[in-house]
Amino acid sequence: MTAPRSSHLFNPTEEHRMLRQTVAEFTRREVEPQAAESDRLGVLNTALFRKLGELGVLGITIPEADGGAGMDTVAAVIVHHELSKSDPGFCLAYLAHSMLFVNNFYHCANEEQRARVLPRTLTGEWVGGMGMTEPGAGTDVLAMSTTARRETGPGGDHWVLDGTKTYITNGCEGHCFLVYAKVDGRITAFLVDRDCPGFSTSNHIDKLGMRGSTMAELIFEGCRVPAANLLGEVGGGLVHMMHNLEIERLTLAAMSVGIAERCVELMVDYAQQRQTFGKPIAEYGQIQRYIADGYAAMEAAKALTYNVALDITPDSRNRVGSDAAKLFAAPVGKQCADYAMQVMGGAGYCREYPVERLWRDAKLLEIGGGTIEAHQKNLTKDLCRAAKRA
Amino acid sequence: MKILVPVKRVADPDNANKVKVSADGARVTSEGLEWKLNPFDEYAVEAALRLNENGASGEKLGEVIIVSLGPDEVQTTIRQPLAMGADRGIHVKADDAELDSTVVAKVLAALVAQEKPDLVLMGKQAVDGDSNTAGQVLAELLGWPMATFAMAIETADGGKTLTIGREVDTGVLTLKVTPPAVVTVDLRIVAPGSVRNGVTPDAHKYGEGARYASLKGIMAAKKKAIDVRTLADLGVTDGAVVTYTKFERPPARTGSVRFVESAQELVQRLKTEAKVL
Repeated sequence: MTAPRSSHLFNPTEEHRMLRQTVAEFTRREVEPQAAESDRLGVLNTALFRKLGELGVLGITIPEADGGAGMDTVAAVIVHHELSKSDPGFCLAYLAHSMLFVNNFYHCANEEQRARVLPRTLTGEWVGGMGMTEPGAGTDVLAMSTTARRETGPGGDHWVLDGTKTYITNGCEGHCFLVYAKVDGRITAFLVDRDCPGFSTSNHIDKLGMRGSTMAELIFEGCRVPAANLLGEVGGGLVHMMHNLEIERLTLAAMSVGIAERCVELMVDYAQQRQTFGKPIAEYGQIQRYIADGYAAMEAAKALTYNVALDITPDSRNRVGSDAAKLFAAPVGKQCADYAMQVMGGAGYCREYPVERLWRDAKLLEIGGGTIEAHQKNLTKDLCRAAKRA
Repeated sequence: MKILVPVKRVADPDNANKVKVSADGARVTSEGLEWKLNPFDEYAVEAALRLNENGASGEKLGEVIIVSLGPDEVQTTIRQPLAMGADRGIHVKADDAELDSTVVAKVLAALVAQEKPDLVLMGKQAVDGDSNTAGQVLAELLGWPMATFAMAIETADGGKTLTIGREVDTGVLTLKVTPPAVVTVDLRIVAPGSVRNGVTPDAHKYGEGARYASLKGIMAAKKKAIDVRTLADLGVTDGAVVTYTKFERPPARTGSVRFVESAQELVQRLKTEAKVL
């Protein structure tokens, strides 16, 4: 009874295997029981979120010396994969906090900024988020219109931000945000928190799925941000942003894999129990097609996602890989949820089972963190460029 | 206190429906199953950690040593309790086929002679064989007091005496035990207030169930020592005394569920059709 060779791709070390076990156990015991209720209410379960801090996964990619777990992209993928089997909405809040804020912030912040912000974000006392998308700039992110200008004088040294970010996960509960704004046309990263005068958030933006996390607008009206909150160099935001997008896409792909895997499990169970015309529906070819096709697609998405994860480190990138993984995996989650609902029929459509929730959650992955059209555009551009160079 | 916690790996009980009996009936096959820490042993680890810490401050009050018998892969099983907070491990190399409760108890007795723990704290049984004997045989070999099925452990004097609660049919039976002793634990030992060590403030709230291996714990476990011994090192050379002759699956269920209109009809049918009344 030794582990199959392929499991090495998913659990490259003993620590990865134990991490998966811990997160799977936490998901079974604490995440699953609250998922339907959080979905119904459309709220982030902040008490449960802080338990992720106790587990030590909020700073999963942050070096141990700075209070994190010192693990890699594969580890981040494992956490998203396992959490999303039960509550992708809750996992999305985790992603916005740990990947979009903590991981991104860590790589562009200086020592003083890290010391000021990390301790309380790694426990979950402060929830974080990231502001990139604007009402007028989504896929065409470089068209963003939020501006920042420096103001020095008797009132102190600070940056003044004007503009609006939208569809910001953790916008309602978030305390601190990594915000991109243009300084003389150059994209620059800032740390903005609730205490900055002129900063506010809109009402909760209600949504179809991913309802275990919230979304709001971030509004900057002459928002005064201390000079010490400039992250990196003026104009350095683009590089951070592009690098961080890779781990974001890959963990979003992992969420889709988690949804797909759960949906396959649900349809396999149901198809054996449910009988029609005197035999289990698993014996009908039409049902077998949903189960087998769903499983094959899920396994392919899983293998691709974990394979690309091996390449993405603070010092190495795989932009084509992360685009490909999310482009391929996102529709697989949606497809498997749809297959599971079809196999389960009326039961799958009802709230008694988790399938309808996973079905609603899955759609976001074709939109958030890059639409599938953005991945198609970027991939083609990168592949053509590479072909020209060869 | 110095506490020795023996642990066993078992086929993941959540996948128990995949457990199969080999064609010749000679053994239970577990191909394709994941190994997991026996749940009752996990509870014993949790109880040992609670006994040996100030739950509020995290201060350690003693040592928790994990021991497991089996092939090299059981080191994986030992790492999990180390990640939960145990201090070090001992791996006794053996083939699973060489082991039964008596061999295990002899090995543990030999380790007790070397390590001199104050307490051996273990699961009441493993969920694979459900033998429920290793703890009892060990206490007999050592001539130590024993308390089985503990659902509460309390000490007010740093472990010089232990007050053990055992759930019995009519209520809770309370035993006072003077260590060194063998205590086997039941499920309820991991309820929030089941372990009181006189140091952790009564107001401190433990969670329900065993603690998770946190990521910090997992990384720390990498650096904790696991000593490797063999059965011969420990002088345990007599083989197993229990041999299994045959395994078979329980017969498939027959019959069907029928609904009745009233209690009267139920009684009538139980009398006339089922003939059980």
